[in-house]
Amino acid sequence: MSKDSLIQQLINAFRCLPGVGPKSAQRMTFYLLQRDRQGGRHLAESLVAAMSRVGNCRRCRTLSEKEVCAICENPKRDASQLCVVESPADMAAIEHGTGYRGQFFVLGGHLSPLDGIGPDELGVALLAQRLSEGEVGEVIIATGSTVEGQATAHYISELVHEKGIRVTRIAQGVPLGGELEFVDSSTLDHAIGERQSME
Amino acid sequence: MKRIDLEPCFVLHHRPYRETSLIVEVFGRDSGRLGVIAKGARRPRSDLRGLLQPFRPLLLSWSGSGELGLLTAAEPDGYMRAFAGRALFSGFYMNELLMRLLHRFDPHPELFDHYRAAIASFGAGARTEAVLRVFEKQMLESIGYGLVLDRDIDSGEPIRGGAAYCYVADRGPVFVQNGDRQGLRVTGETLLALARERLDDERVLDEAKQLMRAVLRGHLGDKPLATRRLFRPGSPVQDAR
Repeated sequence: MSKDSLIQQLINAFRCLPGVGPKSAQRMTFYLLQRDRQGGRHLAESLVAAMSRVGNCRRCRTLSEKEVCAICENPKRDASQLCVVESPADMAAIEHGTGYRGQFFVLGGHLSPLDGIGPDELGVALLAQRLSEGEVGEVIIATGSTVEGQATAHYISELVHEKGIRVTRIAQGVPLGGELEFVDSSTLDHAIGERQSME
Repeated sequence: MKRIDLEPCFVLHHRPYRETSLIVEVFGRDSGRLGVIAKGARRPRSDLRGLLQPFRPLLLSWSGSGELGLLTAAEPDGYMRAFAGRALFSGFYMNELLMRLLHRFDPHPELFDHYRAAIASFGAGARTEAVLRVFEKQMLESIGYGLVLDRDIDSGEPIRGGAAYCYVADRGPVFVQNGDRQGLRVTGETLLALARERLDDERVLDEAKQLMRAVLRGHLGDKPLATRRLFRPGSPVQDAR
């Protein structure tokens, strides 16, 4: 197989996927060429279409092929609640795994000044503008439970406070089915610190 | 091949490496600043995920002889109250200073202890500005650029609280007579407060900040500190614009 043959090009192209090394890339290539040309064509067309047409929602910054995504557009969603997440994947997790029916805002990362990610890169200006529109009555901050996620949460909470809007942070602590003995010490520390009164 | 066993460390920064690993920038008590690879630390069920966070006292073991070590074990080094909010920004700022000003493999055990104390005082709710100024002073001392805070470098006279001085870059304070001196103005009170490492007065804090900023600029060069973007005065809304 010459270095720039179509087959080799396809193998190399598959390697841009996370977790795909030369071996798996070659397996995928041979599979599509030998057994599933139809599937391969479909994959190629979907890739071209998605890569050229999917952009970011103008209101919440999530991935969307329309200017405004389906959730932002849906009049049945509760516009008074806005959940701030780090990524479209986090948004999908909350959307599918919880009963939350408000709206979202996707930061696209977390504050990490040493990597050059500051407030500007996270679309904080757009968030501020959204809050100024006056519809939002509560901002739920659902950033990760890392130090950077906490710093991001704090930065955003300051911004929300300034607008006089209620701000909450998702609860953190012992996972369901978690036995205390096996929970790591910092999570446990958090759970004790943030304990709730039982009515 | 060198092996280090359970050295007290802090994580300064980490970045993804390959599919599931991290390259962690570590500040070790006896090894100084160094990088280690934490294999598999980004796997969903890895214990290292929660552990290798900044501002947590850790005991790390690693091996390796080249530029990057290979992390072999990690455990918490006692309990230290976690802190949140604005103090986190201050913590990031200290980490950036260490990343920029410490050379790799250049040990500074005393600075490590100062860092640990600073992190602990954030957890205890101390005033972050005061903690940062003292840490900056201690850090400069450790890396060999300590400030002169006790005497006038021209006359050799001890600093007097009520007097006004001018801090000449790379040298030290000089008594100001008629305001003819070039350099940063600073009162004796501020110099003495920094020397004692006790800053609580508003004006002293403000002067100390100007002084440290000017001194650090000389060592950091033209590239601005990225963490300062988090601290810009006024509201975060204004920052965003």
